[in-house]
Amino acid sequence: MTMFHFFNCAILTFGPHAVYYSATPLSEYDTLGTSVKAALVYLGTALVKLVCLATFLKVSENDGFDPYQELLKAVIGFIDVAGLYFALTQLTHRNISQNHKFQAVGLGWAFADSVLHRLAPLWVGARGLEFTWDFILQGLEANANLVLSISLAALGSLMWLRKNKPKTLIPIIYACAGIVATMPSITSYLRRGLGWHFPKVVGFELFTSLSMAFISWQLFSACQRPSS
Amino acid sequence: MALSKNSGGHRGMQESMYSVIALVFILVACVELCDAAAAIDVYRLIQYDMSGSAYGSRFAALNHHAASLHFPPGADLSRAVLIIPLRELNITFVREYINQKKPLGGLLFLLPDIFSFENGGNKQVHEKEQLKNLLAELEQLLIHANIPYPVYFAFENDEIDTVLADIKKNDAIGQPATATTGGYKLVIPTPEPKKVASPTITNIQGWLSGLKADGDTNQLPTIAIVASYDTFGAAPALSVGSDSNGSGVVALLEIARLFSLLYSNPKTRGRYNLLFGLTSGGPYNYNGTQKWLRSFDQRLRESIDYAICLNSIGSWDNELWIHVSKPPENGYIKQIFEGFSNVAEEMDIKVGLKHKKINISNPRVAREHEQFSRLRVTAATLSEISTAPELLQGTGGLYDSRQFVNETAITRGVKLVAESLARHIYGHQGKNVQIFADGGSLAVNPAYIQSWLDLLSQTPRVAPFLSKNDPFVMALKKELTDHTDEVNMQHEVLEGVFTFYDSTSARLNIYQVASVTFDLLLLLVLGSYLIVLFSFLVITTRGLDDLISLFRRPPSRKVKTA
Repeated sequence: MTMFHFFNCAILTFGPHAVYYSATPLSEYDTLGTSVKAALVYLGTALVKLVCLATFLKVSENDGFDPYQELLKAVIGFIDVAGLYFALTQLTHRNISQNHKFQAVGLGWAFADSVLHRLAPLWVGARGLEFTWDFILQGLEANANLVLSISLAALGSLMWLRKNKPKTLIPIIYACAGIVATMPSITSYLRRGLGWHFPKVVGFELFTSLSMAFISWQLFSACQRPSS
Repeated sequence: MALSKNSGGHRGMQESMYSVIALVFILVACVELCDAAAAIDVYRLIQYDMSGSAYGSRFAALNHHAASLHFPPGADLSRAVLIIPLRELNITFVREYINQKKPLGGLLFLLPDIFSFENGGNKQVHEKEQLKNLLAELEQLLIHANIPYPVYFAFENDEIDTVLADIKKNDAIGQPATATTGGYKLVIPTPEPKKVASPTITNIQGWLSGLKADGDTNQLPTIAIVASYDTFGAAPALSVGSDSNGSGVVALLEIARLFSLLYSNPKTRGRYNLLFGLTSGGPYNYNGTQKWLRSFDQRLRESIDYAICLNSIGSWDNELWIHVSKPPENGYIKQIFEGFSNVAEEMDIKVGLKHKKINISNPRVAREHEQFSRLRVTAATLSEISTAPELLQGTGGLYDSRQFVNETAITRGVKLVAESLARHIYGHQGKNVQIFADGGSLAVNPAYIQSWLDLLSQTPRVAPFLSKNDPFVMALKKELTDHTDEVNMQHEVLEGVFTFYDSTSARLNIYQVASVTFDLLLLLVLGSYLIVLFSFLVITTRGLDDLISLFRRPPSRKVKTA
């Protein structure tokens, strides 16, 4: 029955990605290649981030919140944004509309993130006899991450791929992109600095991801109006 | 450029695929990490066969749900482990369960801290005596029963106390843990217990030569001082036997030390040889002593004037007993007893004489001196216990821990024996001479006694589990070598009447498990979540019609109008 639990948590963590791919027109236009390429770019970004973290970050004994270290982590987190920029602009994609491009890139990005960060703990931990809620919460976090990645990709495509944007919306776009990009720092601050428990943090992540998704959707459709 | 980029990307993808596959293999090979709610050391009930009958707990591996004493009546416990703290033990309940052979998954007894050496310390518990008697009764019940499921002992600590409180709460609601209702699972992954092949018993003897006058060719008379050092108890890994017979061993070592001081100077060397014997096999009718005596040369055996056996002299107040097999009217016995009584009077101790005839046809040997008496050697046992113990009773079990032994009692006992022996050796009977006076260079050393007693109270000494070169046996040998002229070790095999099985201690993992129903429910919830997500996405991106068209795929009517 512990393999059963592992199976449950696995479909919670990775199921939505597959569902997203098959439900939206992405499957019709066969954008799998784009997603795979985005996943690989994520792997490369993760490696670069790892090297930077190992070089610049000091190992702290206590689990408290060190503002300087967190600032450094946030700066390194912007490598993520650079990676996304690379994936959106530099890679050659087949002829797919911008609408679908950012979705495919975001999907691949989020899938790679889930696999890299969540598969190993799931395999080692969820198969044991001991039951914890951690893995279910981790799955919910993966869901929130998917939504966040897609909204970040949407905002990214707005920033770099769309040339004619209404002037008033540009600062809002950049502000939202900034918030979404610094989400990891915000969550780690909540966990360490304020001492929130895991379920609370996951709830916060879900809420913000949904709201950011909604905002970026509105921005995207607002920017689409002049060209349509 | 696009082409090269593509091929480069392709190769990169291949490489990353290989590394991912390698990583997956490593993870698959990973041993399941133990992430239990609690992991504690547990000690198994002894498993042995005596004359073909099986006794003790016959199984070691455990993998069942936990239950407490508050289980709802009528619940099926055949796949549950009952956790019983000693304080809440109802001995009739356990006796009923065992005697009526009711099915049970396992038993786990929780012992209070006072019975452990590290944590017991000097805590004052007001029900000490009560708990001690209860534990002794439980031990006797378990040792003589044949139990077809694992029985373990553990010491109470915070982790298991919280787990037990949780289990009691669940049981009180009326929801005993099974596969479908979650709860706690106790797992001890040990292999099946195997027989201990040829258990050895090791006797250690130390010889201190007396002063032979020039020209004297006769053998000097010998006095033997003997104590058995091994134990037998319900949990072999916890049978430290502080009183039975740790106190005897400590006393023997101290007496050896004192006499070695006296004998080191030829001017104070007595005209008696001293033979110190640390025997094994005590609980099994003093089998080791018998083999030791049988190995003696006839001349040596005849030269033994008398033997004093020390057993359980660690927790008495004012009264000691000398047990003999020869009738009290016998001259030798009178001499010995008078010698002891005189010294005892000076020390304000009451010494009583107990006589019990030996029956050679009865294999039961209750006290060590009886082995000597069977070979016509005058012997007596000095003990605080007045009655003769039964087989496997009073042999240093779980309840016999450091807490209940008093160093002062041992010190006084040592002084009594040493003084009486010295007066006999040097011919000062009846005279009021204090050879081992307090404060002198020959005073009994309480620090020596305490340190050896502490060591003994931390060393479980069940003979079949002590190998020939066990560090403790070697330590005893070294100590005797320091105090005597010649030390010999005799290795024998324990008689075939007893067979022992290994696996005496293990590590218990306590897991908090969720039930199957929980996972099924979770699967249902997740399935519906994914379906809802799917429909939501289809509706928002492709429109409601597309969703409906997914379900309506009529095989006919595929009219393709251009």
